[in-house]
Amino acid sequence: MSSVSAPRAKRWLPAWLGTQATLGPLFIAPYVIFLVAIFAYPLGFAIYMSFHDYFFTAPGAEVERPFVGFANYATVLADPAVRQSFANIAVFLVINVPLTVALSLVLATALNGAIRFRTFFRVSYYVPYITASVAVVGVWLFLFNSRGLVNTLLGPLAPDPSWLINERLAMPTIALYVTWKGLGFYILLYLAALQNVPKELYESASVDGAGRWRSFWAVTVPGVRPATILVVILSTITGANLFTEPYLLTGGGGPDGASSSPVLLMYQRGIEQGNPDIASAIGVILVIAILLVALIQRRLLDER
Amino acid sequence: MKRIISITAGLAATLLVAAACGDGGQSASESTESRGPIKIWYSNNEQEIAWGKQMVEAWNAEHPDEKVTAQQIPEGSSSEEVISAAITAGNAPCLIFNTAPAAVPQFQKQGGLVPLDDFEGAAEYIEERTGDRAEQYKSADGKYYQLPWKSNPVMIFYNKEIFTKAGIDAENPPLSTYDEFLDTARKIVSSGAAEYAIWPSPTSEFYQPWFDFYPLYAAETGGKQLVEDGKSGFAAEEGQRVAEFWKTLYDENLASREAYSGDAFGEGKVAMRIAGPWAIASYGESMDWGVVPVPTSDGKAPDETYTFSDAKNVAMYTACEHRATAWDVLKFATSEKQDGKLLEMTGQMPMREGLPETYPDYFASHPEYETFAAQADLTVEVPNVPNSIEIWQTFRDAYSRSVIFGKQPVDAELERAAQKIDELASQE
Amino acid sequence: MATLTRDAQHVATERPTSRARKQPTWQSAVRYILLLVGAFVFLFPFYYMLIGSLQAEPDSTPAGAFPSPDNLTLHNYREIDQAIDLFRSLINSGIFTGGVICSTVVFGLLAGYALAQLEFRGRGMVFNAMLLIQVVPFQLLLIPLYVLIARNYGLADNYLGMILPFAINSTAVFIFRQYFLQLPKELFDAARIDGASELAILLRVAVPLVKPALLTAVLLTFIGPWNEFLWPFLITKEADMQPLAVSLANYMNAVAARAANPFGAILAGACVLAAPAVALFLVFQRHFVSTNLGSSVKG
Repeated sequence: MSSVSAPRAKRWLPAWLGTQATLGPLFIAPYVIFLVAIFAYPLGFAIYMSFHDYFFTAPGAEVERPFVGFANYATVLADPAVRQSFANIAVFLVINVPLTVALSLVLATALNGAIRFRTFFRVSYYVPYITASVAVVGVWLFLFNSRGLVNTLLGPLAPDPSWLINERLAMPTIALYVTWKGLGFYILLYLAALQNVPKELYESASVDGAGRWRSFWAVTVPGVRPATILVVILSTITGANLFTEPYLLTGGGGPDGASSSPVLLMYQRGIEQGNPDIASAIGVILVIAILLVALIQRRLLDER
Repeated sequence: MKRIISITAGLAATLLVAAACGDGGQSASESTESRGPIKIWYSNNEQEIAWGKQMVEAWNAEHPDEKVTAQQIPEGSSSEEVISAAITAGNAPCLIFNTAPAAVPQFQKQGGLVPLDDFEGAAEYIEERTGDRAEQYKSADGKYYQLPWKSNPVMIFYNKEIFTKAGIDAENPPLSTYDEFLDTARKIVSSGAAEYAIWPSPTSEFYQPWFDFYPLYAAETGGKQLVEDGKSGFAAEEGQRVAEFWKTLYDENLASREAYSGDAFGEGKVAMRIAGPWAIASYGESMDWGVVPVPTSDGKAPDETYTFSDAKNVAMYTACEHRATAWDVLKFATSEKQDGKLLEMTGQMPMREGLPETYPDYFASHPEYETFAAQADLTVEVPNVPNSIEIWQTFRDAYSRSVIFGKQPVDAELERAAQKIDELASQE
Repeated sequence: MATLTRDAQHVATERPTSRARKQPTWQSAVRYILLLVGAFVFLFPFYYMLIGSLQAEPDSTPAGAFPSPDNLTLHNYREIDQAIDLFRSLINSGIFTGGVICSTVVFGLLAGYALAQLEFRGRGMVFNAMLLIQVVPFQLLLIPLYVLIARNYGLADNYLGMILPFAINSTAVFIFRQYFLQLPKELFDAARIDGASELAILLRVAVPLVKPALLTAVLLTFIGPWNEFLWPFLITKEADMQPLAVSLANYMNAVAARAANPFGAILAGACVLAAPAVALFLVFQRHFVSTNLGSSVKG
């Protein structure tokens, strides 16, 4: 394995500078500086704001910003609109995450075995992921309109009131949209994982007489467990931070707040109404909630 | 567990850093005497850009050492975010010709606006130009933090073709009382002449009430604002009547509960639309249109019917260094000549008293605008109170819940909203 | 050792899967039908988008999905090109995205390598921070970040100001790290025994091997800034500095209520925005594949 530089290479760096202990931090320094400047500082500032009666002012304006302890958090937790938005996100995740896992695994498996038109299929699944929501939402609004294509096709089965203005169906419709949009990414994750499932396992399964369906459950699903964990956690995080879709698809909260999300409320309260202290409190609660859920998911799925 | 500890440690460290840093930045030098080049912003719709450019050119030609540079910002709700962020960052321009009156209380609270009263003769200038309506634009401390610039008084546009198809007199349609309006609407929809009678946007943004509830409320109460003297009045009789009227429209499916992503009126899907004079330019060529004032419960004469002003004003921002220049530019941009150009190029109504008398030629050649000019004298603005945006959002949520989607009874919802809004309006 | 050889094989491009046993045709048929239905569901909205952008008169009925030839026109594209300077916006998007990609590739690669192969204090903490970042929503940080960049650093209306919050994509760092973890440690240890300095190891061993992951990281990093609206919108006021996503959204806002067929014009703009991303993927998708991501899912 000595295809590297000549043995006993000339050192143009002093020995201590070349060690892992110094180069490690050096290599990682730009990234760390980036993290501190772009994330840590604003995040710290946001947390700071959540404990004060805070609003932004022009530079040089003298304003009182008293420390208020947990008052903002109390207000937020008591606010029915906030509680509703968290409930909405829970509904969203319950639909989106299992659907994403199931569909992406099934489609990836199908794609894995397909030899012909592979490029076409792969491109078609990835296209929604790479286009901006801003662009695609208009089409969806058209399609799911009360007189749109979907309802026309469904005929008498069409829900009334129609999808996005139905307070029971608004969030599920958004969940459907987001699932559709993100599937390409997860399909690729699964495609990768499928490559790593040893072929011998499939062969021995078929030798044992297992049909396609059984070998799917017995070999494929356990074989891609690490990928499944990743898909579950990533889609949970993305789903919990949902903003663009409620904002664009239901114009800010939907029928009676049925499709509002915590981040949407943060945007409304913090940026539109000028209460960044309340918005930060919502944000901190959201981050803590996501971390807890992700931890639980990882614990549950890893055990087996 | 170790992971949690290391994360918390990291966060604590950054918190300390953040607290120590605070918010740096220097305050702008504030001299009402200072002169020099300035920056302005205006909205990005075609006609206003054209007006803005010629105004800037005209000024720059005569004041080469006090040059104005202009940039565009998008009109619409996102402009408030942009302006608020600019105030915070300290890089707002001297003048913004796109300041929404509803946002002024917030910008004022942020310390972002210069009280125009600082300039000699400013209050008189404003009141002379705009007349009595200028009262509505004063802030709680009695000063003007905005200059009322132009308004787009909203009225009911209707599609004459659709009306004729439905068998209604298109020249004198019965639209002045609620009962008449509802009957007309029913006829339109049941005859199949259009899908819906009217289609205001049913979405929940805070500014939507300005185009459904508020104009009719202004008309019904003879010119009252949503909140007057710190108390909200919309839960009283008149407000309830307006809300019930809209509720009937939604209940009988004469208005749609769904948002439409195109232009329903332009596409002939709907017979009427609440819009300001800008709509003349949009629909003038392609549609045979008519316009009437908004309805009231017992029918008022057009010269007594108020409406919402949909005004956009100009404000001076504290980041401005050369304020004397800025004030002069402001006076220049609202002079009789420039107001006339604004009228000509955009069709929007400068907030100047007695428009038809001041610009007789224009109105002679554009009679369609006369109705709006007359209406422009009877406008109601959003109340200039603290937390104004939150107030409108609270109102919209209650309205959406009860009137549009019928989830809660109207009177109870309006009462609750009124209480909450009274609280918000009385905060500092 | 078997894992080594298999991993070494995987470092190349994807090999077609070939099962030992032959598949009965009906199973093949089911597979293809499933894929076709999926493809249809995925592509139909885009087809609709394309057709809508080519129509002169808006037609929202189902029949509009199959327009008559005389309703087709390029007018919407012309209209949106007049309203927004498409060329200039595309260039801005390119600079913004390109800047992010360059900075991610250089600094992200270093960071990923350090996290994977080098031992140093604080390594765990940085990794945890990286994970935490993924969780925090951008809206929480928005205004403080804006104040930081516009006020404290003075970078408003500046390409650097646009790029800074996105400069190093954490997912890319994650991918680099996972990829480097996959490379056999023996490679590096052998080089160290040979006396090569850490820097030389990085440049001569790690970098040449990382090309597949590089492409993956580039493609993933591309999407964020290309489609990003909110941040460039806040930080730029000059119309000729705004990337396409922002110009398009502004246009949609300003025009939505007023133009003759705004929907068609909006769709035209949307197609223009989506086209380079799709084209890029089409060109590189053969390389951007499974096996490289495969290493990242092992972790």
